Amino acid sequence: MKIAIVDYGMGNIHSLNGALKYLSFSKIILSNKIKDLESADKLILPGVGNFSAAMKELNSLKLDQHLKNLILIDKKPILGICLGMQLLCKTSMEGGFTNGLNLVDACVTEFNKDQVKVPHVGYNQIITNKHSKLYSNISESPDFYFTHSYKVHSDENICQSFCSYQDDFIASFELDNIAGVQFHPELSQKNGLQLLKNFLDLF
Amino acid sequence: MLRKRLIFGLIYSDGFFTQSRNFRLQKVGDLKWLERNYKFHDISFSLDELFIVDASRSERDQNKFAETLRSIANNVFIPITAGGGINCMGDADILFDNGADKVVLNTSLIKCPKLLKSITDKYGVQSVIASIDYKILNGEQVVFISNASEKIAYSLTEYIKYIESIGVGEILINSIDKDGTGFGYDMETSHEIEQDVKIPILIMGGAGNKTHLKDGLESKNISGVVTANLFNFIGESLPDARSYLIENKINIANWEKNIT
Repeated sequence: MKIAIVDYGMGNIHSLNGALKYLSFSKIILSNKIKDLESADKLILPGVGNFSAAMKELNSLKLDQHLKNLILIDKKPILGICLGMQLLCKTSMEGGFTNGLNLVDACVTEFNKDQVKVPHVGYNQIITNKHSKLYSNISESPDFYFTHSYKVHSDENICQSFCSYQDDFIASFELDNIAGVQFHPELSQKNGLQLLKNFLDLF
Repeated sequence: MLRKRLIFGLIYSDGFFTQSRNFRLQKVGDLKWLERNYKFHDISFSLDELFIVDASRSERDQNKFAETLRSIANNVFIPITAGGGINCMGDADILFDNGADKVVLNTSLIKCPKLLKSITDKYGVQSVIASIDYKILNGEQVVFISNASEKIAYSLTEYIKYIESIGVGEILINSIDKDGTGFGYDMETSHEIEQDVKIPILIMGGAGNKTHLKDGLESKNISGVVTANLFNFIGESLPDARSYLIENKINIANWEKNIT
């Protein structure tokens, strides 16, 4: 299986790359070239940083429409991680109101700084959705590593799992071939390694 | 609920990992040696976070340290904090580019006061841990910089207030007196400090066994405990310590044992 990590210049990919190798997936490409992404069986969209800056980067690489085609028409499985998950959503308020890739009916808003410490950093437990494939073979209320100041909300059924930090926010979603996790599976020990394996095996 | 953290610190010096005692370094072995004799990769599965600090006293070989960092970062699946001798933006960039999720600043908080903001502007406030080394002298907690060789004018309490006000993600308090002794953390100071600090506080210096880790984590406002004691936590003792902490209802993460 060939896995492409979409490399658009934002995000720490050492651990992610290492995690895939640990799981014995050896055909990994880091690329922002459309041809490479087309040739992959599965896509991972990582990301750390500012939403609006990331969208600008994707637009300038002309990746936005191509990614959408690969995901919506070719039905290539994609896993968005952290900012990568947020980019799959409709809109975000980070860096001013910005349109995302609009693949999932969800919006990104900021944590309320008056109520909680922002960013939300550290290991936190999540309440998993029982229909979710991402959490196969993972114990109840698993821990994952979070580091983010913005969070995802949706009124639709997108098979969401929740994390609680003052209020509940969406820790992950999955819709057919599209999955997103707010946390970093590559920094979450075997909980995260199992989740990555689930995405690669089951999607 | 947000979890507390068990953190291991690797103290690097001129190509070797070391055991520190009251800030005097004893060479233990290089990365291969660490892997062969300490099964470091297995041990890392019992941790929540890893610190890798370049404490080289002579001239630093930044590229060699970065290579070591990258090699570790590719094989552990927890956040990594790196540091030691960061004096300019380029020093920080090279660590982030080679797998660090956060950097630790100490002497440069005083010597290069503008550096902190440059780093947090680029990587976010959560990406910096301020490390504070202190000693008890005549009953007072006195802060030292430059590998414990230079005293500063602030008291520990004043300095923590100052650090909190300039905007860092976390504060690490390291007891020079307890460093490497295995006698336990300086709990007295920890209790005093934790009262009104709003950002996460980590403590370091003195852990020699699992009950010391438990004592530290039981302290209400301590978010994490760090140990760099290679000799006391080799082999099964870290996995064993983690199980012990969980059995004793310490609020730390539960990890899957196997991948299926």
